[in-house]
Amino acid sequence: MSFLEKHQRNVDLTAFDGKIPVHYRYTLGLAGDKFFTAIKKDGKFVGTHCEECDVIYSPPSVYCERCFASLEDSWVELPSTGTVVAFTVVTEDDQGKELDCPQVIAAIQLDGADNTFVHRICDCCIEDLAIGAHVQAVFKPKKERKGTLDDIEYFEIAAE
Amino acid sequence: MNRKVGIVSMGYHGFSPVTPDLSFRELVYAAASKAYAKAGIGPGDVDMFICAAEDFCEGYSISDEYCNDQLGAVLKPVHTVSGEYLQAIANAAMIIQSGLGKIVVVESHSKASNIKNMEAIHSFGLDPVFNRSLRVTPHFAAGLEMSRYMTESKATEEHCARIVVKNRTNALSNPNAGHGAIISVADVLASDPVAWPVSRLSIAPRSDGCIVTVLAEESVARSLASEPVWILGTGWATESSTLENRAWGEPVSVDIAAQMAYKEAGITVPSQQIDLFEVDDTYSFKELQALEGLHVVGRGQAAHALDEGRLGPDGDLPTNVSGGSLGVGHLLEATGGQKLLELFLQLTYQAGERQIPDVQVGLAQAWRGVPTTTSAVIIVGNE
Ligand SMILES: [Zn+2]
Repeated sequence: MSFLEKHQRNVDLTAFDGKIPVHYRYTLGLAGDKFFTAIKKDGKFVGTHCEECDVIYSPPSVYCERCFASLEDSWVELPSTGTVVAFTVVTEDDQGKELDCPQVIAAIQLDGADNTFVHRICDCCIEDLAIGAHVQAVFKPKKERKGTLDDIEYFEIAAE
Repeated sequence: MNRKVGIVSMGYHGFSPVTPDLSFRELVYAAASKAYAKAGIGPGDVDMFICAAEDFCEGYSISDEYCNDQLGAVLKPVHTVSGEYLQAIANAAMIIQSGLGKIVVVESHSKASNIKNMEAIHSFGLDPVFNRSLRVTPHFAAGLEMSRYMTESKATEEHCARIVVKNRTNALSNPNAGHGAIISVADVLASDPVAWPVSRLSIAPRSDGCIVTVLAEESVARSLASEPVWILGTGWATESSTLENRAWGEPVSVDIAAQMAYKEAGITVPSQQIDLFEVDDTYSFKELQALEGLHVVGRGQAAHALDEGRLGPDGDLPTNVSGGSLGVGHLLEATGGQKLLELFLQLTYQAGERQIPDVQVGLAQAWRGVPTTTSAVIIVGNE
């Protein structure tokens, strides 16, 4: 059963390092393209509306995951405000290295939307932040916007 | 309605934080040879083999092509489930129930110690446009879930920390567990706040190991094992793959998977009909959330059950007696295999000092980790 011979001295153990260097190009798709173009050009959020389910998706999808309807022609505009549904304070980057300073990430339900948008919350708001807080998006200046998630600097507590 | 499926034997190797002496193939061979020896069979007697694996964790693509020789599956029907061990068990059960095979083997392993930057693998699992581009720890998804879960339930950070203390203490009674320890709630709360409210010690550490299960159709199972453990129900489900579209605090996939398994097993009151639970505890709060999704306790009530001592080894709802992933170590896609192994050992009265008396039915539930919403449930019994 199993092995009779085993390594008994750890200096006999050998291994070598390696990596998988692969590169990709990610397509935004119809929905992503429209979403990020609206942010880049107009500083606005757009979403798609499924009439059948009465659900608004922002971030959008050109199909409804609930009823499978095509939502390609049912675009709506949304305000740049929303409600914090959940939030977390992260201290590490995507490789597990410590960040210079902690960052707040929140799931934000844009006003009018039924799903959530995940983005940063400004550090300055951390004291007042709670689930249920009303927040608004702070966009980068138009000429710095590139059509990516970073076109939104962060969300901050909304001035009521 | 279907043919009865029995677990004849389980062979395993591990579970420890490192395995510097064996290659992953040798790790599998070690577990498989024990499983076959216990069943009194050779791999030639097996009709089909199923592996559960994920390419990035293996370190090369087409890892499914690399799973057969160390199992004795060369020139045999073999396929890989790119999913959780318990999903592979469900596949094996279907093959046997359909009459396609009489003896089926399921394998999965973890050589997590060979992965030099696990965060990168989890980050690669995130949507590149909307989530990966935040460039923060992939644990953020668990942080969001935990914060929402605490809002919707009676659970606090302290309750979740007590799950860590419980499971790592339970692991001290499990000689196969890699991370048993006596720690305090204060230790857990004071550990690095990786993605508050998720702290370093509330995340299951990883272990290496391999688990091989031999399953067989009823008459074969009875001839090979004096006490087979029977598969009573299987279920699995996946929520939206879009992070933004999920219910952050609710264990939806656990609920759906459980209902599917309960229906097959004829379970209507899980807290009374099931004797022990090995559930997901990749993050401490997941154990509490899972028990609610499984309807073992009411929604939001798991923390109360913990307060009353019901989840301990002596309670009426013993949960993660093995130590769970927090105490044994997370085993990548083999994690559910360790949970099933604990049920197998308990139901065949081989669990040593942590043996629960008078056990007849056990439930294993596993989750595929961030950023997934896939859960699987297997219910087993010894009668
Ligand atoms: Zn719809």
